Amino acid sequence: MVKKRQTSAIIVATKSDKLFDLLVNLFLLFMLIVITIPLWSTITLSFRPNAYIGSNLQGMFLAPWKWSTAAYKALLGNAGFISAFKNSFKILIGGVATSLFLTIPLAYVLSIQSLPGRRYLTILIIVPYVFNVGLIPTYLLVTKLGLIDKIMAVFLPGAISTYNTLIMRSFFEGIPNELKESARIDGASEIRILLMVILPLSKAIIMTIGLFYGVGFWNDFFHAMLYLNSNKLQPLPILLRNILMASGMNEFVEVHAFGDAPIAAIKAASVFMSAIPMIIAYPFIQKYFTKGTLLGSVKG
Amino acid sequence: MRKHMSMLLVLVAILALIAPPLFSQGAADKKASEGATVIELWYGAAVTEAGPPPEDWVGFQIIKDKLNIDLRITALPSSEGDQDVKIQAAAAANNLPDLFMVRRDVLARLVPQGLIASVDDLYAKMPIRTANHYDEVSRRNAVFNGKSYGLSDPGAIIKNEGLLIRKDWLDNLGLTVPKTTDELFAVMRAFTFNDPDRNGKNDTWGYGSFEEVGNYEAWPGRRLQPIFGAFDADGTWDMTTSNAGLSVFKDGFYDAMTYLKRMVDEGVIDPNWLSYKKDDFRAAWKQGRFGIMREQNAAFAAESNYAPFDQNFPNGEWIVIDPPKGPKGHASIGPYTANFRVYAISAKAEKAGKKDKIAELLEWMASDEGYFLLGWGVEGVNYTFDANGIPVADGVPNPEYSFTGAKGQVVTQLRNMVFYNGDVELYARYPTYTTAVSKKQMSALDVMREMQTKDWTPSVGSDTLPTPNADLKRFYEQSLSEFITGKRVLNRANWNAWLDEFKKLGGQAWNDAGVAFAKENNLLN
Repeated sequence: MVKKRQTSAIIVATKSDKLFDLLVNLFLLFMLIVITIPLWSTITLSFRPNAYIGSNLQGMFLAPWKWSTAAYKALLGNAGFISAFKNSFKILIGGVATSLFLTIPLAYVLSIQSLPGRRYLTILIIVPYVFNVGLIPTYLLVTKLGLIDKIMAVFLPGAISTYNTLIMRSFFEGIPNELKESARIDGASEIRILLMVILPLSKAIIMTIGLFYGVGFWNDFFHAMLYLNSNKLQPLPILLRNILMASGMNEFVEVHAFGDAPIAAIKAASVFMSAIPMIIAYPFIQKYFTKGTLLGSVKG
Repeated sequence: MRKHMSMLLVLVAILALIAPPLFSQGAADKKASEGATVIELWYGAAVTEAGPPPEDWVGFQIIKDKLNIDLRITALPSSEGDQDVKIQAAAAANNLPDLFMVRRDVLARLVPQGLIASVDDLYAKMPIRTANHYDEVSRRNAVFNGKSYGLSDPGAIIKNEGLLIRKDWLDNLGLTVPKTTDELFAVMRAFTFNDPDRNGKNDTWGYGSFEEVGNYEAWPGRRLQPIFGAFDADGTWDMTTSNAGLSVFKDGFYDAMTYLKRMVDEGVIDPNWLSYKKDDFRAAWKQGRFGIMREQNAAFAAESNYAPFDQNFPNGEWIVIDPPKGPKGHASIGPYTANFRVYAISAKAEKAGKKDKIAELLEWMASDEGYFLLGWGVEGVNYTFDANGIPVADGVPNPEYSFTGAKGQVVTQLRNMVFYNGDVELYARYPTYTTAVSKKQMSALDVMREMQTKDWTPSVGSDTLPTPNADLKRFYEQSLSEFITGKRVLNRANWNAWLDEFKKLGGQAWNDAGVAFAKENNLLN
């Protein structure tokens, strides 16, 4: 009876609970609108015909009543766009694989409580994170390593993120020690423990950290701009930036690089298309995403 | 699940292991052609989003065959800020390319570090290029400590903007073109309150503008310079010997502010002018929101830019007018400077004995062969000549590969290195056309020529004068806009008090540094 009363006391929401829920929902609705408007505006602009760009919207905000796919056709037919897309994928795949390959063992090593000098090793990793060495020393290092104008230069200098390593380390520390102990008793080496015991239990954190790295590499403009000279190696963010910077271009020429497609629509379409891979990836990884970050954030 | 996880891990491991050899491939692997001098060039692309010339571009082969140069090109990032970062990072690693485009400010920092070669001796080695590209002003542009460290090629065309007015609105209201600031105000009022477009709605304003602020056109920026010019206060700087200094210190500046405040108070300026960006402003005049503006020739009259206005208002007509005369007879569209694209040669290239080869390359670019190849592509493929000898896009077998076509533009990416705003370029760039709806004959070139006949204020070099620090700049811009929007009361006493405060906060030091620099570099008129 007592138990039943307690249960009902939890379930029945008070007026203030309802009010709070209402406010939260209103806030979320507001945030949804705030996020949706620019996204929707970009999408509708990308489909707007040339004659209606720079003219009165004529009710085209909610949905274009005259559609044009010229911008998408022009983008997909542009060799530079396809090449940039491929380069971005190379950076994404190479970057994520390299980063995970390096971050997982590092995080695991740091999670072993009995590791001699573990504390100093952690400090050694955190210090450069807090006191960043800066652009020029990094550029000099990349130059000395002969990586200038090589795709690897985009992802190798930032292959290990201290922040991601620490999250992963916390996750590994949360895995019951008994599992590792029993594996050790069975004669397993640390590498075998990592591969056969730890990693199968760490899908959530691997997916999450992989996503963190992936988004970072996919959107990385700065390193590509700095280290890649050859135009054929330029990734999507560089091309996107060039397209977005083409705002004043029509001042000087009659046409632009995308034929008859309106440049405003090209800009909008390129922004939307570059976001598509991440938009597709998120729903599949979302379930791991929340779980992974939460587990990594609370030790024990 | 365990099986999937193992597969995932194996995949990650394999990818990570093959990543270094796979992704270390790049252009740097190219081997130098036997015997040819490798020249690395970082250029400013003509159409940033179009992509580079293809690897099999005929220009590379011609340059190799004729000059024995293996030219390797890299497009600089599209924004100046990014260009600066890339160049300065390369400079720090002593990794500058042989020849590169650079902003003068950055060049000024690289020269004292000994990273740049002097180019004084090159002018004589490039007679054609020197005759077309470099005059006395441009040669002075990149001089530091008595030596020239940059080849300053002609940049964007100067005086290519003008004050435009809706003639159809004037006609509808029975008004004439305003000649003075008083007449201008009367027209702005009529455009705002007398329904100039006869649509029965109160949806028009007299003047349209937006904040377009630059080094030599401080707040309220370029679009309102014809107003400030009427009070002899246009431009950030007064570049006359007798009155050199910041324009804000001049009496005329206060008068111009008062005039602008009246425009705002009486609602004769499009109220969105403080929030508009360039694209919004341009969309607004195409939507018929206002009837007077300062606009650039091609942004107004080039076919693709004029088309929306033509469609919305087939009977609409803009005309270029003289800037209005102020109470003391002053009139100006605004200040003009000389625009340059500076190309520098690294000291590394000089040390490697490449300087003469670079001169040879640049001179070839200025020859007829180089000029047309880099400017328009290959005759018969990317362009044909019209009866007047002007390259045109008509008549090429595949229009996509014409120099204006989507695929043809890549071969003209280096055209900024050969163009010098000569007649051939201008006729090719701004062809005469018939508008689609109203069937008017339009020519952005004719518009530009007319704009160039109007009164302008010479201000060459004012864009190279010292700039204020970010805090002072913010204070300057914010305070002035507060005077206009009414947050500060604009009267003589408040204005003088603000000037005193501005001087104390660094305005006086900025003024003095600018005047000293202008005198030192012989920039005053």
